Amino acid sequence: MTQILGGHLVGKYMKEVEKVDTVFCISGGHIEAILDSFTEYRIRTIDVRHEQAAAMMAQAWSVYTGRPGVCLVTAGPGFTNALTGIANAYLDNAPLVVLCGRHPLRDDLKGALQEMNQMDVVKPITKWAATCYETKRIPEYLNMAFRHAVEGRPGPVFLELPPDILNVKVPLERVPMITRMTRKYTVHPDDWDLRQAADIINMAKRPLFIGGSGIGLSCCSASLSQFIDKSGIPFILLNYGRGELPDNHPMSLWDIGNVGIQLGITQADVIVAVGFRFNWLLQSGAIIPPQTKVIRIDIDPHEVDRNRVADVGLVGDASSVLSQLIPLIKRGEHSEWIKTLRAASNAFLDPELKLRVAPSSPIHPIRLVAQIQKFVGDDAIYVVDGGDTQYFGLTGFFSKEKAGVMATAAGLLGCLGTGIPFAMAAKLARPDKKVVLLQGDGSFGFNSMEFDTMVRHNIPVVCVVNNDTAWGMIKHSQELSIGCDRLQCAELGERHYEKMVEGLGGYGEFVTKDEEIIPALERAFQSGKPACINVMTDPTVTSPATPLFYQSLKMD
Amino acid sequence: MQLSLLLYILSLKLQIAAKMNKAFRNYIGTVQLKILIKTADGKWGRLFVFDKGKVTSIGGGNHNCDAALVWSDPGTAFKTMVKASDEATFYAAAAGKVKVEGMAYYIQWFNDGVKLTM
Repeated sequence: MTQILGGHLVGKYMKEVEKVDTVFCISGGHIEAILDSFTEYRIRTIDVRHEQAAAMMAQAWSVYTGRPGVCLVTAGPGFTNALTGIANAYLDNAPLVVLCGRHPLRDDLKGALQEMNQMDVVKPITKWAATCYETKRIPEYLNMAFRHAVEGRPGPVFLELPPDILNVKVPLERVPMITRMTRKYTVHPDDWDLRQAADIINMAKRPLFIGGSGIGLSCCSASLSQFIDKSGIPFILLNYGRGELPDNHPMSLWDIGNVGIQLGITQADVIVAVGFRFNWLLQSGAIIPPQTKVIRIDIDPHEVDRNRVADVGLVGDASSVLSQLIPLIKRGEHSEWIKTLRAASNAFLDPELKLRVAPSSPIHPIRLVAQIQKFVGDDAIYVVDGGDTQYFGLTGFFSKEKAGVMATAAGLLGCLGTGIPFAMAAKLARPDKKVVLLQGDGSFGFNSMEFDTMVRHNIPVVCVVNNDTAWGMIKHSQELSIGCDRLQCAELGERHYEKMVEGLGGYGEFVTKDEEIIPALERAFQSGKPACINVMTDPTVTSPATPLFYQSLKMD
Repeated sequence: MQLSLLLYILSLKLQIAAKMNKAFRNYIGTVQLKILIKTADGKWGRLFVFDKGKVTSIGGGNHNCDAALVWSDPGTAFKTMVKASDEATFYAAAAGKVKVEGMAYYIQWFNDGVKLTM
């Protein structure tokens, strides 16, 4: 009778059933048997320097690969360190599987090493959380975890595995091993609702399509492409939906960026919102005029009427619902509306467009982004992290790749520090693509030790620091709210982050002049190392995101 | 002439609102901003100065500012602004009759503030 260690059941199930090939982790005594199973079953481990990065990388892995990302953390501080990443995945609806160590069951309430009630802490920020108490049920619990992560509206799940079940052997024959990979099931909207939606779309004069993370998580580029081609509706893809169709698609409005979104929303007569929440960035739906017809498609029925009662709500997976709508809609033609929207937006964007092409001293962040884009092009993956920096990156970078321009800090948690883990995961998931990270100098501090991880695992990301020597968004917001003379905890000073990266074994450059930007990028990519180009930019520049942020926190 | 009068009346409305209108007072808060509305030739215009809750204005189209709404001509500016409608401004922008200099968001902020006084 073959005996198998409980910990090895983890690797066996994940590799053989869920086809997991990469896990993001930090080692720890409580989880040693699981780590050993990764050797046994040839699962690649990316061991980071802080568990927060492991959770964020696993979340990013799900975005870049379309499969749930897995992170493994040890008990106690390993668990608490991962919490920010788990919370971020929860608010982003990302399918993240967190496996976590635990103090031994036998030592409960004895003051065991790293003993704490992890479950009560993690439950509010996970879709599903459980402790497995029996070795032979480990595959069953893992199966439940993966199922909950991907089914319906995706989200993070948490499975606690104590040493009492990991460090004992059981006969393999007695372990019920599920053999089928987790499947994603979908629901379908009512036929009458589908026809209603099609009627509204067919009558629209100034329609606008907004796709959010639900588009990306549905991996629906084929059905989305058909829907857009047939309906003729201009579209903007946001959050993890971005790149499901390329930014340079003729109907994409990314060329007019946030201004285009704002104007489009206020002037459209029909808005088709798919997998997209009407959150604070859309003033919780208040930005949409009352007379505008709204069609919402979402996998979560609770989302359909949230913050704005939809004229038609279609519940289901984005790809499935769009496929069902395609035969019901007429071929649409809205080129005049698109031309008008572009022309109006460009009148407001004119200053930004001029900044892109004019050399500046000190370097303007918009110019910095334009120079990076000019050198790297659209066959690349861009990650952006920061406050003001995320605005400049999101509106200035264009990619033809799925999830080609990501700024997780612009998500609901507003989680600065996600840039480095996301960029690392992007490079690991798509090693053939150039990965550029535009990083604010403030947010650089949260996960910058991960340059060590990049060096150890040979992950050559090129990071460009937009260094305005401050927490820019906070600083400029404070200037509006409490005045320039009373800034508090807003300044950072000029720091040589590139030297820190060099010290960790990467490549570094310090840039202060416009003409130095592209040559520095050339050398950074040529180095083949993880690189940091520290670019000093104009500290007085404010992005439009800052006053929006400032206004959102004002109370009547 | 009509445009100058319209901008002057607008400045009075904003100044009164800064004292009497609680929602507007709260909206402008302690913001320090200079918004200029002018014609492209600079012959017509008015600068609106927001300074920690106080609103003042100066006539003329040649002032330093944080953002400017630049109209092609005074007639279009008057006809569009008097409608006080986002749609009218949208179509004027699409027709190349108005553009923004500086950060567009500040113009939006200004417009949203003006709406509170209407």
